[in-house]
Amino acid sequence: MVKDITIGQYFPGQSVIHRMDPRMKLVLTLFFIIFIFVCHNFWSLGLMVLALGVTVALSRISIRTILRGIKPVVIIILFTAILNVLYIRSGDLLFDWRFIHIYSGGVYTAIFMVIRILALIVASSLLTYTTSPTLITDAIERLLSPLKFMRSGVHTIAMMMTIALRFIPTLIEEFDKITSAQKARGADLETGNILERTRALIPVFIPLFITSFRRAYELAYAMECRCYHGYEGRTRMRQMKLEARDYVALLLVVAVLAGIILLNHFFGRLV
Amino acid sequence: MAILKTEHLTYSYSTGTPFEVTAIEDINIEIEPGELVAVIGHTGSGKSTLIQHFNGLLKPQSGKVYVDGQDIWESKKTLRASRFAVGLCFQYPEYQLFEETVYKDIAFGPKNMKLSEEEIDRRVRDAARYIGVTDDMLEKSPFDLSGGEKRRVAIAGVMAMEPKILILDEPTAGLDPRGRDTILGLIRNYREETGRTVMIVSHSMDDVAEIASKVLVINNARVAMYGTVPEIYARSEELVSMGLDIPQVTKVFLGLKENGIPVRTDVYTVEQARAQLRELREKGVLAW
Repeated sequence: MVKDITIGQYFPGQSVIHRMDPRMKLVLTLFFIIFIFVCHNFWSLGLMVLALGVTVALSRISIRTILRGIKPVVIIILFTAILNVLYIRSGDLLFDWRFIHIYSGGVYTAIFMVIRILALIVASSLLTYTTSPTLITDAIERLLSPLKFMRSGVHTIAMMMTIALRFIPTLIEEFDKITSAQKARGADLETGNILERTRALIPVFIPLFITSFRRAYELAYAMECRCYHGYEGRTRMRQMKLEARDYVALLLVVAVLAGIILLNHFFGRLV
Repeated sequence: MAILKTEHLTYSYSTGTPFEVTAIEDINIEIEPGELVAVIGHTGSGKSTLIQHFNGLLKPQSGKVYVDGQDIWESKKTLRASRFAVGLCFQYPEYQLFEETVYKDIAFGPKNMKLSEEEIDRRVRDAARYIGVTDDMLEKSPFDLSGGEKRRVAIAGVMAMEPKILILDEPTAGLDPRGRDTILGLIRNYREETGRTVMIVSHSMDDVAEIASKVLVINNARVAMYGTVPEIYARSEELVSMGLDIPQVTKVFLGLKENGIPVRTDVYTVEQARAQLRELREKGVLAW
């Protein structure tokens, strides 16, 4: 159910990846995601996957956790694969039956795309698995600090993101609780067509919204009681400092990028 | 025949992960019709998990649940029937109100049962009467009511399904003493007038001892005791060792016993205490 979603979850740990500066992690994750689209053939993609594999190993996040993160998107992956297999007409004809024509080019592209999507998910979820939400928003705030002159302020936006992330699990729990309560009153959420099912959610969403507003007011009062007034003059308990390991990571990632560009150049283009 | 029966009911959360917790283990109970059962256990003892099995919200990982002799997991139909046969009212039920008027909110359950308009109207008014929801409240928005009133409306919403067993999870949580007494009194009246089975979940025995006919004590995911109120209070020392609260009078009598005075410790009302002390004085054991 809702609880099975692990994307965006944080698994505390002490690995090198956990201890890296969140700003560097965020930037390098973005790099990685760009690399995935730079790769043109299996050789460069292979190097990318290898680099990602090493990162996963260093983070000590179990393979099972990684696989569970992939589970919710399996359908999208299968859909992409099937479309590629059926519609790409290049290379040798492998299979021909009525309206189904499968070419070797289609199969290769499908495999390539599946690996790309998997790498994309693993790379981005690795960031949230190893970095607490507070650190991620802190990092975003720092990285965006050149935009301080904007009216509503980078800090306010970062604070809103922190609060939003913090309340996702609370909302999920609340949603489950209200669903159970309405089911106990005979609400039928599982049968009927889309329209009926949407209508059946009204008894769940109205209480959920009301509770969220109540919570928001309470949180705002609590913050005001502790004299929160935004960015002006605030100092931080945790100072971020780039360490040797962060520079090493940067160097390695640049090396991987160079490798990818070289392999792209030498082995031709698949997509 | 027992109205509610469980056989070897077991359920654990997060099975197959390192965070696995057994919430209930090998629960075997039989509840007779018309009882008012108090389900007692401290926070995390598994009592909330247990009651969610009675109307099929949770599927037992092993074991069976019978409502009125019918295995509720036999088919989709029996499962749905169990939702209406066992009315479950969660903790802080006021947060589940959603309709425009109190009347419509109470009618939500009966409407889901696909009853006729007249029958729904009768049930809504009956339930409102039992739990002290006045006629002028029925036309108001539930969000304009006070906390205690909202709580009563939410309970009425479950009562209006006229379940064979009404289960209330901590119905007095967060209420002041007067609100607590009002709700418990109304529940007692409901049971006396309708003769239906009622279960009240609570972490405090003091709250429910006065109105309960039977007590089910849950400790560490298992049934620790099941019996009448005096039977349970006769084992007060065990209750204390489970971390459960006992009434002030019982505490006094446990203290007397510890100090060598030959009293029975199954007292839980001031009246009983007075009677026993009088008896001891007449026998000449105590003198004052």
